[in-house]
Amino acid sequence: MKVMIVDDEAAIREALGRKLLRDGFEVVLCKDGLEGLRSFHAERPDLVILDIVMPEGMDGLTVCRRIREIADTPIMMLSANAITEEDIIDGLNAGADEYLTKPVRLNEFVARVQALLRRSSMTNIETEQRYDDGYLSVDLHRRHVHVNGKKVHLTPTEFKLLAVLLENSGRVVNQRDLLEHVWGREYIDDVYYPRVYISQLRRKIERDPANPLYILTEHRIGYRFEKQTHSTQRLM
Amino acid sequence: MQATNGLTLLINGLTLALALSFLFILLWHDVRKEITQFFAVFLALVLLWNLGSFLAQAVILIGVEGSAARFPLIMLEFGFTGSSIALYALVASLVKMYSRRFRILLLAALVILFTYRVAIFAAGAPDPFVIDADGSLFLQTRTPLLLFYLLFDGAALYLLWRYQRKIRLRVLKFGLLLFIIGQSIGFLNPELDTFLISTVIGALATLVISVGILQQEIFRPLAERKSQVEAIRNVIASIASQNAVDSILEQLVRQSAELLEADGAAIFLLEDDGLSLKTTYELINDRLGSRLPLGEGVAGTAVQTGKLIQLDDYARDWKGSHEFAYASEFFGAVMCAPLVAGGDPVGALMVVASRHGRLFDREDAYLLQLLAAQAAVAIIQSRLFAGQTELNVQIEQSRNQLETVLVSTDSPVIAIDREFNLIFANPAAAALVGAQTVDPNAPIADLLPASAFPNNLRKALREIRKRRSFTYEAELGDKIYLCHVAGLGRPKMQGWVAVLNDITQLKELDRLKSEMVRMTSHDLKNPLQAAMANVDLLHEDIYETGSEDVRQSLDTIDRQLQRMNRIIRGILDLERLRDGALALELCAPVRIIEDAVHEIREFAREQSVVLDYVADDDLPLILCDVQQFERAIINLIENAIKFTPAGGSVKVAAERDNGEIVFSVSDTGVGIAAELHERIFDRFYRGKQRGVEHVSGSGLGLSLVKAIVINHRGRIALESEIGVGTRFTIYVPCA
Repeated sequence: MKVMIVDDEAAIREALGRKLLRDGFEVVLCKDGLEGLRSFHAERPDLVILDIVMPEGMDGLTVCRRIREIADTPIMMLSANAITEEDIIDGLNAGADEYLTKPVRLNEFVARVQALLRRSSMTNIETEQRYDDGYLSVDLHRRHVHVNGKKVHLTPTEFKLLAVLLENSGRVVNQRDLLEHVWGREYIDDVYYPRVYISQLRRKIERDPANPLYILTEHRIGYRFEKQTHSTQRLM
Repeated sequence: MQATNGLTLLINGLTLALALSFLFILLWHDVRKEITQFFAVFLALVLLWNLGSFLAQAVILIGVEGSAARFPLIMLEFGFTGSSIALYALVASLVKMYSRRFRILLLAALVILFTYRVAIFAAGAPDPFVIDADGSLFLQTRTPLLLFYLLFDGAALYLLWRYQRKIRLRVLKFGLLLFIIGQSIGFLNPELDTFLISTVIGALATLVISVGILQQEIFRPLAERKSQVEAIRNVIASIASQNAVDSILEQLVRQSAELLEADGAAIFLLEDDGLSLKTTYELINDRLGSRLPLGEGVAGTAVQTGKLIQLDDYARDWKGSHEFAYASEFFGAVMCAPLVAGGDPVGALMVVASRHGRLFDREDAYLLQLLAAQAAVAIIQSRLFAGQTELNVQIEQSRNQLETVLVSTDSPVIAIDREFNLIFANPAAAALVGAQTVDPNAPIADLLPASAFPNNLRKALREIRKRRSFTYEAELGDKIYLCHVAGLGRPKMQGWVAVLNDITQLKELDRLKSEMVRMTSHDLKNPLQAAMANVDLLHEDIYETGSEDVRQSLDTIDRQLQRMNRIIRGILDLERLRDGALALELCAPVRIIEDAVHEIREFAREQSVVLDYVADDDLPLILCDVQQFERAIINLIENAIKFTPAGGSVKVAAERDNGEIVFSVSDTGVGIAAELHERIFDRFYRGKQRGVEHVSGSGLGLSLVKAIVINHRGRIALESEIGVGTRFTIYVPCA
């Protein structure tokens, strides 16, 4: 597995790289956004780790957007800058799958990297392969999502989240199950994640993210995917 | 001889008839007056005397013998002696010397006289008056008659001399003296002819006395009343025409002295519990302005008792202290009336007669009181006037001051009435509106843009009604103002006044500060990340193989890095809270506790502290930012665990209390000293308490908890006992 780390701080870049190398990953280190993009094309890594604030040239968010234009490669944001939820959402909007705030311990870092890789490589989607109500159509097998006829890019995490909810449509999936199935066992205490990603997902597939029809919240329990018929959509 | 007698009798008859008519006038004027009554008795006895004399003449002319001839003589004698007694009584009444017993004594004297006459008559003893063979009237036995005469006329004469000042009319004094002389002439010659002269003089004197009494009782008071009215009119006129209290008092004191024919007068005013001599008239005023304690001196006593003091002889009658050093030497009669206005004493008015001057009677006292009342009114009026003037000046002054303050201040001040029309705007406010001057009564909504008013006007007005003031931020142009609004008028609100403080710079500074905190924290996080990552690598490399010292050093570095991380996170958490946006959602209290306990359980286990929680599943929901609220509970639990020795316990609970959910975190830890209770919620405050120096922390945890609780419209409380434990309680309203 090849992991690319883009961070302007050499000390961080190198320490993270050393740890990943030690744990058997291939590592590509880049000192700024431009170099990162170039390396992405050249090296085709399986995972990208992006710092957001980089003084020269492109910042992490831009790099993330550029990568998303051409690939679904999982991207992990690693930022010292996140203060509010908005900061994190900005990162996710740019297409990141995961948002870690500095400082992070190396063991946790590696666990997250492994979980993210595992998530993106999961292709064995068992039950229903397709969903289409005229407005929203999802092809789980080919990983295609269309909203109102237009193709929508979902990050691996978003897609995985949608898939899990769709598989259990009509039933409530509680937070823990969601965390375990989408992110992995390591994330079971990160109750924060589903909330951020659900709202991100809603923005992409719901007509009115403030009044969702597909993904409904069961307070303090979890989320539920509600299938819509074509007529309900029309009536709306 | 006979003709002479007849003429004499005629004169007597006319004289007495005149006197009698005067008596009737007096009786008609005031029958109850003592002096009138005494005079009536006196006149009756004189009449008896004259009638006796007349009848005796008749007896002589007709030549009646026996007891019929004797009767007029008894009448004559009774009238003569009785009039002596009555004269004494009259004089005593004139000088006002009688007491209640005096009447009884007088009555007794008359009874004795009558009994004596009856006794003489019954015993057949010889009469004092006899008619001899020539047909002449003789006074035979003189001793008892003389005794009576000497006793009563002498007493009357003594009274006249002793109290000569009290009888102010010369004609009265003359009449009384004439009567005494007339009676004494009767004793010069026992022959009746001579006695007739005595009768004539007696009758004339009676007429003179009656004229005198008439004058004293009727004419003089009438004349005096007239001059009193005039004097009062003058006083009132002077009060009305002048407002300076000093000139009014001068006028008053002069009028009082003149009106009462006094030799001097003075006015004292009450100032701070002491009397001060204000104005004098014809008195040496070396004590002017000096302070006299209340209750001392004639004036002080009059003010204290509130009663008029009247002294006939100052040196003899006054036993208290003296206002004037020379008073005992020079003062004769003294009168002093308290000046009372609205039930409160304000001073005293004193009139003084010299030792040889007049005495003051009841009329004078009445007049003095009248003047005193006027003086009091004048004083109060002038004081009110002075007070009013002073008040006006003060009001004007404070108005000027206020206006100066309002005009010169840089903060805009705007007042509006209940219809939201402008009442006042200072130049700063006018500049805000963009005008040189602002037209009052203009609707405020026309002057200022909507951004200047509170978002929720209804709520703002309700707040002002409840708390008297309301504060909000208003944006005007490129500036931000902190606008304090308060109600105008009490108890009924007449409008509102707003003071605007330009906080644009403060806001900018605050923003810069927040920005700097963010930047610094961020800049610190990168080195921290690098350090932590390298420590982790180092740990993997050499922890197992390294020496004990190496391991210890690694652990220490690790702990310190974590501490630094906590501090930075705390600062950022607080900053985030200050931004204030809460992601509110409905939430079950038990879930918050469960999640919090779950989060911190590992730490409790490491510290060997038993962590437990109690909460009902069916507690009412609360509206909260779950993330933040959990952070608050976790911080409290973490804090409790830190300060609880191994083996202790920490208990978390949620319960319902009326409309609130009460979260509590109690421990069996070291406790918090009472003097620290207030301060532990302060930012960066770390309790310096014996025995807990080893505990690490950023000093931000509790300030964060408090900020979160306040953001949730809740409150936090703390109970603690050193060595026993601590209990933090959070109260939040149910949803």
